[in-house]
Amino acid sequence: MTFLYLALGTVFGFALSRSGAADYDFIQSMFLFTSFQLYGIIGTAVALTLPGLWLLKKYGKTIGGKAITIDMKPFNRGNIAGGLLFGVGWSMAGMCPGPILVNIGEGKIYAIAALAGALCGAALVGVLYPTLQKLFYLPKM
Amino acid sequence: MPLILHGLSPIHWAAAGAIISIVTLALLFLANKRLGLSTGFEDVCSLALPLPYFQRKAVVSGRGWRLPFLAGLLLGGFLSAALAGGWSPTLALGMFDQRIGLGAAGKFAWMFAGGLFIGFGTRLGNGCTSGHGIFGLSNLEFSSLMTTIAFMAGGILTTNLIYRVIF
Repeated sequence: MTFLYLALGTVFGFALSRSGAADYDFIQSMFLFTSFQLYGIIGTAVALTLPGLWLLKKYGKTIGGKAITIDMKPFNRGNIAGGLLFGVGWSMAGMCPGPILVNIGEGKIYAIAALAGALCGAALVGVLYPTLQKLFYLPKM
Repeated sequence: MPLILHGLSPIHWAAAGAIISIVTLALLFLANKRLGLSTGFEDVCSLALPLPYFQRKAVVSGRGWRLPFLAGLLLGGFLSAALAGGWSPTLALGMFDQRIGLGAAGKFAWMFAGGLFIGFGTRLGNGCTSGHGIFGLSNLEFSSLMTTIAFMAGGILTTNLIYRVIF
């Protein structure tokens, strides 16, 4: 299975790399509304995944016969605050989490700095979780 | 508009969206996993930090698929560059170079700062473009709709501030 996940990740990464989804200029033109490319990518992905997901849930089991289980994400104030902060980072770096790795793979050296920052940011959430949990009504650990 | 990578023309958005959707559905159908990449940051943190937040089920149970998938993203980027005209390290950053500049050290500092927002924001918001934007929206989850609106708003405000007001 490890090889399957590696292969899926490779296809995903290749598509992000060649479509502009891992490209600084395309991310800026999405946010500047000067290019439709990223809206087209995300829109198509959702438009196809939505019915596919519905069918899979209706069918109800994986290829191996296990029941399909999807953990829903709970809503809390962290979604709004975290979303806004992530948007600032997506704009600054021109990358969201997957594309950080794609950019490193492509040889864009500065993406390593973005990865280091992202790991520090995630570590900060872990360290501050008890405080953030009260502040944003996050789920208890 | 060409890609920064070797000045290539991008593939059609419908093709890219279809590939993303196929991978997302394959991950659920073959492995019973919901796509979500930013939790991978916690995977890495959990190797170094023994905090309860990093040992929770969503992190630990996804480790078996997420770490190889993330390695695949690196490989996919590498192959994309290698097959397009050769892999070579670069600092090229498109309109950032034309409008902001800052030099190499400044670019690294800028990217580190951006990364901090990405890491902190995605973990506080419980997901990123993949887990909320693609999987969550397709699964009609309210929290994903709200988070997606928030991160699009954050990005639109920041980029417009940077390129239409400051630089």
